[in-house]
Amino acid sequence: MTAVAARFGGISWTHPKTVGVAGIALGALAFWLALPPLAARTAALPILLGILAIAAGIWAWSRDERRVGGGAIAAGILGIALGFFATRSSPAHLDEVVVWSALGAATLRYATPLTFAAIGGLYCERSGVINVALEGMLLTGAFFGIWGAIWAHGWAGGWAWVIGLITAALAGMVMATVHAVWAIHLKVDQIISGTAINFLALGITGYLFIDKYGDTGTPGDVPDYGIPDVHIHFLQNWYFVGPILGQLNLMIWVSFALLVGTYIFVFRTPYGLRLRAVGEHPRAADTVGISVYKIRYIAVISSGAIAAMGGAYLSIGFVHSFTENMTAGTGFIGLAALDFGKWRPFPTWGATLLFGFSSALADRLPTAYGNQWGTLFQALPYLLTLIAVAGVIGRSIGPAAAGRPYVKQ
Amino acid sequence: MSDDERRADELIELAITQDEVEQAPLQPGVPPPPSMHFASRFGGVSGVIAPLITTLIAFLMGGLVVALTGKNPLKVYHAIWNGTGLNWFFHIGNHSARVPFSTTHMWFPWDTSSVAAQNLQQTLLLTTPIILTGLAVAFAFRCGMFNIGGQGQYFAGTIFAVWLGTSFGGLSPWVHVPLVLVVGALAGAVYAGIAGLLKATVGAHEVISTIMLNWISIWVGSYLFGQGGPLQGSQPSIPISNDIVDGAKLPVIWGLKLLQGLSIGIFIAVAILVVYWLIINRTTLGYEVRAVGFNPEAARYGGISVARNYFLAMAISGAFAGLGGALDITGWEYRIGENDIHANTIGFIGLAAALLGRNTALGVGTASLLFGALINGTSGRQLDPSIFRPDLAGNLTTIIQGLVILFVGLNVGGVWLWLKRRRGA
Amino acid sequence: MAVAPLLELRGITKRFPGVLANDKVDFDLRSSEVHALLGENGAGKSTLMNILYGLYTPDEGQILLRGEPIELGSTKAAIEHGIGMVHQHFMLIPVMTVAENIVLATEPRRNGVLLDFDAARKRVQELSNRYGLLVDPDARVDRITVGQQQRVEILKALYRGAEILILDEPTAVLTPQEAKELFEILRSLKSQGKSIIFISHKLNEVLEIADRITTLRRGVVVDTIPASGATEESLARMMVGREVLLRVDKKPAHPGDPLLQVEDLVVFDDRGLEAVRGLSLSVRGGEILGLAGVDANGQTELIDAIAGLRAVRSGRVIVDGHDLTDAHAKDALDAGIGHIPEDRHRRGLVLPFTLAENLALHAYRKPPNSERGFLNLRAIFARARRLLKEFDVRGGTPSTPAAALSGGNQQKVVLAREIDGDPKVLIAAQPTRGLDVGAIEFVHRRLVEQRDAGRAILLVSLELEEILSLSDRILVIYEGRIVGEFPPTATEEELGFAMTGGGRDREAAA
Repeated sequence: MTAVAARFGGISWTHPKTVGVAGIALGALAFWLALPPLAARTAALPILLGILAIAAGIWAWSRDERRVGGGAIAAGILGIALGFFATRSSPAHLDEVVVWSALGAATLRYATPLTFAAIGGLYCERSGVINVALEGMLLTGAFFGIWGAIWAHGWAGGWAWVIGLITAALAGMVMATVHAVWAIHLKVDQIISGTAINFLALGITGYLFIDKYGDTGTPGDVPDYGIPDVHIHFLQNWYFVGPILGQLNLMIWVSFALLVGTYIFVFRTPYGLRLRAVGEHPRAADTVGISVYKIRYIAVISSGAIAAMGGAYLSIGFVHSFTENMTAGTGFIGLAALDFGKWRPFPTWGATLLFGFSSALADRLPTAYGNQWGTLFQALPYLLTLIAVAGVIGRSIGPAAAGRPYVKQ
Repeated sequence: MSDDERRADELIELAITQDEVEQAPLQPGVPPPPSMHFASRFGGVSGVIAPLITTLIAFLMGGLVVALTGKNPLKVYHAIWNGTGLNWFFHIGNHSARVPFSTTHMWFPWDTSSVAAQNLQQTLLLTTPIILTGLAVAFAFRCGMFNIGGQGQYFAGTIFAVWLGTSFGGLSPWVHVPLVLVVGALAGAVYAGIAGLLKATVGAHEVISTIMLNWISIWVGSYLFGQGGPLQGSQPSIPISNDIVDGAKLPVIWGLKLLQGLSIGIFIAVAILVVYWLIINRTTLGYEVRAVGFNPEAARYGGISVARNYFLAMAISGAFAGLGGALDITGWEYRIGENDIHANTIGFIGLAAALLGRNTALGVGTASLLFGALINGTSGRQLDPSIFRPDLAGNLTTIIQGLVILFVGLNVGGVWLWLKRRRGA
Repeated sequence: MAVAPLLELRGITKRFPGVLANDKVDFDLRSSEVHALLGENGAGKSTLMNILYGLYTPDEGQILLRGEPIELGSTKAAIEHGIGMVHQHFMLIPVMTVAENIVLATEPRRNGVLLDFDAARKRVQELSNRYGLLVDPDARVDRITVGQQQRVEILKALYRGAEILILDEPTAVLTPQEAKELFEILRSLKSQGKSIIFISHKLNEVLEIADRITTLRRGVVVDTIPASGATEESLARMMVGREVLLRVDKKPAHPGDPLLQVEDLVVFDDRGLEAVRGLSLSVRGGEILGLAGVDANGQTELIDAIAGLRAVRSGRVIVDGHDLTDAHAKDALDAGIGHIPEDRHRRGLVLPFTLAENLALHAYRKPPNSERGFLNLRAIFARARRLLKEFDVRGGTPSTPAAALSGGNQQKVVLAREIDGDPKVLIAAQPTRGLDVGAIEFVHRRLVEQRDAGRAILLVSLELEEILSLSDRILVIYEGRIVGEFPPTATEEELGFAMTGGGRDREAAA
């Protein structure tokens, strides 16, 4: 303990923020202790730690650190609930569900569409346009991705996924263009136009899906020309890391590149500076000769392309089929992750990993606990997002001009 | 209290500059006035023309989609029209009708037992919950919130209605029906209240929280009515609840109970429309809700608790949607299955109805009838599959909804200004 | 005099729907001079300068630079022609650093794509040393003072190679001391060959800094005269078109009992920092207490706390003997506080509401306007008709949306509502901001009337002239504390000194 204390010697232990963060860590610990490999069998441990986490949270909350305070309270409650649940389960079941390396890989798989959605949203919202249409853009990408790949595989063979990605991106850009025109030029409320895009995407993809593949569903040979996995042979034998990173879909690696690229673009280039300027204070940007409309159009349309690629990953990189409304709120969870990450790439990615983990967990639970409980656990990612939106995001402050159309003089 | 203020600021972020009040040149650098909250765009009672044009555009563009995929849109729309039962009104003749709750007959200009009449009953049955989920959106909208959670609130009402409806076998209908309806409404209110409370206390944005609540309700519902779920019916292999007991069913006034005749639910929905109008326009609560919706900061300055109104508006919205769910169960569905939960989109149709109806009582009522007819006309039961596949038609409805929302938000003034600028440039 | 002017505007006309903002305006600027553009609010100064900066296109007229006609279709074109503008409301991005703000849109680059932060910092430093505009290039703009922000704005223009600087009401946000520093900077810029257009409605400043003065009235140029030889009186006559009443006509006050008492009040601002730091004051019935101070010294937070719109951390607010500390806005209203808010669009009015609804914003919950939760529209409309007449509100009936009214009439609606609530204490926060002379006189007259009716009036204003002409007693607020009390006979200099923390309570400034 003294060693740990020494390491954190520079931090004020009594600062509410520190206490709140410690509370969040305690909540996570409460759950983790009950899981393999430690798999504590007494419920007292997670409950005790959870209560400590809640206490820390309340203390921090009462001292105006509401963000982390709320987070610690939520983490404590979740830690108790999940930890308790885990200690009541048989060790065999637990071992079945909690295979860390498999969970890790599944987390990345589930997090990737969220990452694409969130990063797409980042460009859009950094430019000052709210994007609740990410869901629809994702769904559009999912359909047109698989449509393009199926269409192209006759002549493009195993490379048909490239065409799929391109058609997905183009379709996403078309959707985004509608949102852009409505939000930027017609000055319609951005939440309304985003909602309209979501409905349009749902209707159009559903319509075309039934029209094209209605009787049989998408063909079963999509995996043959879907987005390939990347095998890194030397990694595959490494302990823990190997099973996670050794064989990942190409798009997961692309999402990592996208994160780094986005960080550099937004915070290290002149264009990023202009993008942020337009989102914070469009008139100031205008007065130094930056075209607010141009930047917003580029940002919104790019966001459509990026989100649609996430959708394409879903249909031709992950599940290899399309079903109506298959994105099931993924775009909205991505949007929540963006808020959660305060419109910064890496914190946002952290949030997508959290939500991705809950999806991975929900996905693995039925293997041990049967379908009925599994059905209930499908609600977990949404519940977690709700808690995040409620407790931790609260009112995180985004780009100052987000949601406000710019009226040129 | 500074919390309230920050929340108000956030809402002001949502506020938009008004094209309509742009007569005076904006001072450079003066941030656009947070003058008009986005609700104001839709609050106006005036303007029947714009929604009409919107509907026309939506149907035209929907027809374009149909034509592009190689079908004849005129034939499709005609088939849908026939399925709606609205053609019933055009077949005037010499008929008789039974007076409800009696055996006496009287002269009536329309045939009450024709196929068209049955179709119309269906349309009106579908209109009932759309009115209520539409009001759920409209009421929150008047308070400056965008309630996309009508679906989840509707399910909350549905779930409790099934639960209570399948229980208390011997109860008098005079007690059982009101009990089911009130509890259904309360369930919706509590469910929406979560989002309202989160908005009022920590400022969580209602769009994300209500969407998440929708999905949670879907999976909880699937669990409850699904295979092995606690509310699954007595047939072990079918993931459907039991039927509610007869005492919990609403009286049917037109058509036969077995053939899903029209229940008195439509009258309850119309009565709620009147209640909505009264609350919004004639009560202090409505005044406060509208003030908060237009300008939360000014409302706060006027001594109105913004947080309280956010919560109340969401809860009342949820009560409307929950009642809609309970009316569906007690009026004609009588049971619910796992599949229904995944397929049902009544809450989202309410969204389009509210926006098209500009959040006014009359508008929501009319728009609900339109969507009720559209959904009935495109349903598998009404639409001839040889003309148009019903599952395609269902998606066509979604497209039309999307187009309606897209175009109804468009204010004519804005477009006009834009075109003018283009010409000037 | 034979040399062609550096810049010339000829016959500029600009119309807005219903307004002729500029009517055949001629204006010229010589090299290395300060040319002041004088006029009231709404005289068309800002419109003219926005035309010069490419924000508006004139309907008629010509702009010549060094004798050559130029087209200014955009701000970009203006910048390329060496025209720079310092806006009244700074065009700075609060969350970015000084350097980032200055280089925005003309950023130095590294490897062609990356932003070269080091070069940006260095160039800002160079410029700032050369012109004596000291700022820290790495400081975030929302963390520096208003005076420093203004320097950033000037640096922004200079960085873009501006030869002509337009300053729009630059002293509005500054203390008299900061204004003096600004004048030093302007003189130094002038000596280095820059030409400056100085927009203002403050006569003494114009006389101090300008070489020549052009006066605008209702969009028309009245005259252009050399500053030497002009007097405040002659300029005022040109600006307003008649003899100006520099002091409000009022009888001596007869103060009664204290109606509003604030004791050791501590209030936080939105960022959670102490904005009001142990402030005490008391206003008696029948007097106008003027609270003078530079913007953002705690005035807003003080008013909010009194009106129940912001939490009180410690201290007390007492209205006519009732403790109102931390009361809700509703309780404050009930206890007899009337409040004319500083921003009538953000707070004072619900713009889409009708005038009747706006006038009922406090009274709707009381009979006869409502009973048992139901509104009585008849009573609400009757009351609205009466108030609109009493307060001479023009351009609307009770069912007109407030958005359709002019600023002056909107303010009358606010005034009517607050006075009709029969308050014991009336808080007037910048009650005449953005109004024309007629409306200003109306508001001032009404405030004095209310004083004479025995109400306690707390007047908060950034305009020293308004404070001096209306108040019976003046307090100066600085960094959340009262730093001095003055009689209405005090001079602007005395007040100005106190407003910057100078004067009796030196420790308050520390």
